Amino acid sequence: MSDWTCKQVILDLLIEYEDGEMESQERVLFERHIEMCPPCVHFLTTYRATGRTLKLLKPEEIPADLAQSVLAFVRARAGRKA
Amino acid sequence: MSRVGGEPAKAAPSGPVGPGAGAEPSDLDLVRGIKAGDEGAFEKMVQRYHTRVYSLSYGVLRNAEDAEEATQDTFLTLYRKIGTFDESKKFFSWFYRVALNQAYSRARRRRPALTVPIDDYLPKFASDGHLASADFSDWSPSIEDDAIARELAGRAGEFISELSPAYRDAIWMYDVEGMSTADVAETLEISIPALKSRLHRARLYVRERLSAISKLPAPDGAPK
Repeated sequence: MSDWTCKQVILDLLIEYEDGEMESQERVLFERHIEMCPPCVHFLTTYRATGRTLKLLKPEEIPADLAQSVLAFVRARAGRKA
Repeated sequence: MSRVGGEPAKAAPSGPVGPGAGAEPSDLDLVRGIKAGDEGAFEKMVQRYHTRVYSLSYGVLRNAEDAEEATQDTFLTLYRKIGTFDESKKFFSWFYRVALNQAYSRARRRRPALTVPIDDYLPKFASDGHLASADFSDWSPSIEDDAIARELAGRAGEFISELSPAYRDAIWMYDVEGMSTADVAETLEISIPALKSRLHRARLYVRERLSAISKLPAPDGAPK
């Protein structure tokens, strides 16, 4: 295992690694830690799963007449044609 | 109903004057048109951004009716407050904050505001810097089930809404809405390194909360 602790890997280095912005030498050390550390493997897996889960917060569909309902609402509330 | 598309239609670059014949007006062209009372400019702005605002509102509110009403309120605010928009800034950054505030304001009316201290939910480490045993559970395979994944997404949305705005807005804009780091940093008026720090802490928090509700026994060989 590299000299890095899980704390350093997770708190300080993980986002750089995931962004692909880590220098190659650091990347090797990072991956060496991950390979030798089952808790960090699970952590990385669930960190990535969190990102995939967040993407599901977007709606699959929108109301077809939404633009018209917005315009009608604003026209009614604004007191004049918008 | 129609599918939500990806990015909104790209506008022409902002310029000091209106667009040429046939060119799509920029956001700034439309802003100036709305300020001048051009009703067509407002209609174009609605057409350009209504799906994006609805998507954001839905993510916060998790309810189609509330999301539609929040979208209406957002455009009403745009119509009434456009005079306060500083034209030296990027329009969508300003408008995104208007939309986000509308959605969270509506969410707070639905349930009491509760802001959790993010540090309470960051991963725990032993004194030697290694992960504590509680972090061994791997719930990631469960999101292969669409129903479970959507349930977890809903809970994630609730957890995010309990964050302070600094973290909440960063994770919404980047991870949910898919905005670029540059656009999010500009919207929040912070540096890119500061954004990444907030984003990472917010992700760690959401991961921790999702792990807590998806707790599985530690794998064989893991420290208890």
